[in-house]
Amino acid sequence: MTAPQTRSLVITRRFDASAERVFDAWLDPATARRWLFSGEGGEMVRAEVDARVGGRFTFTDRRDGQDVEHVGEYLEIDRPSRLVFTFAVPLYSEQYDLVTIDIRRLDKGCELTLTNEMSPEIFEEWGEQTRGGWTKMLGALDALLA
Amino acid sequence: MVEQEPAHLDAVFHALSDRTRRAMLRDLSAGERSIGELAAPFAMSFAGASKHVRVLETAGLVRREVRGRTHHCRLDAARLAEAEAWLRHYERFWTGKLDALDALLRAEDAASQNEGSRT
Repeated sequence: MTAPQTRSLVITRRFDASAERVFDAWLDPATARRWLFSGEGGEMVRAEVDARVGGRFTFTDRRDGQDVEHVGEYLEIDRPSRLVFTFAVPLYSEQYDLVTIDIRRLDKGCELTLTNEMSPEIFEEWGEQTRGGWTKMLGALDALLA
Repeated sequence: MVEQEPAHLDAVFHALSDRTRRAMLRDLSAGERSIGELAAPFAMSFAGASKHVRVLETAGLVRREVRGRTHHCRLDAARLAEAEAWLRHYERFWTGKLDALDALLRAEDAASQNEGSRT
């Protein structure tokens, strides 16, 4: 599934809520429509989730009269610790990304790690907007790909 | 995914997808280099190094200047900054979503606590 060349963006976030609640917020359409693919000032006109491996989702957000569709397919569903799905916004790009959600229980709440993997051509890591930053960025990039 | 991409970003990401070219860029981030100097760490021929530099040039990441018999290369970081800005869209996108999720869960908690205090 994942090419060895794939690059990714990783974001980690802690929540006070339980792992189950955080996990369900991704798959329950009534909850997901309120936060997941809603844009600023947009209106969620369609939120459909077929929460099975191989099932698809469609979230359509109406922004300035334009319907922005977010679509994808669930590849792994392991409540409450792991969710893997593909994701695309056809309006912007035909390319599907791979998104992995890992949720770890903490004494209080949980920690979520989101990994957004992109096509092989896309690299990761960023530094300050300076030459020194670029040096660091490319060094980190190499370390990651080593 | 998240954002309309400038077409030339493809060329930038293609250029960055190769380890040798990334190492060359890192070298260039410290200052101007000749093709020979860029080739040295890789035990690479001038022609091989020149080919990599051409890919970097096409992506707008490097400028080459021929002085006498020497090809001098300089990093042009503007394109790199663009690629980085594009990546930041991803980061902002997901960070925004997780902020919204956190706010939603907290609002639910607050609401259920209020209900609890009324009963």
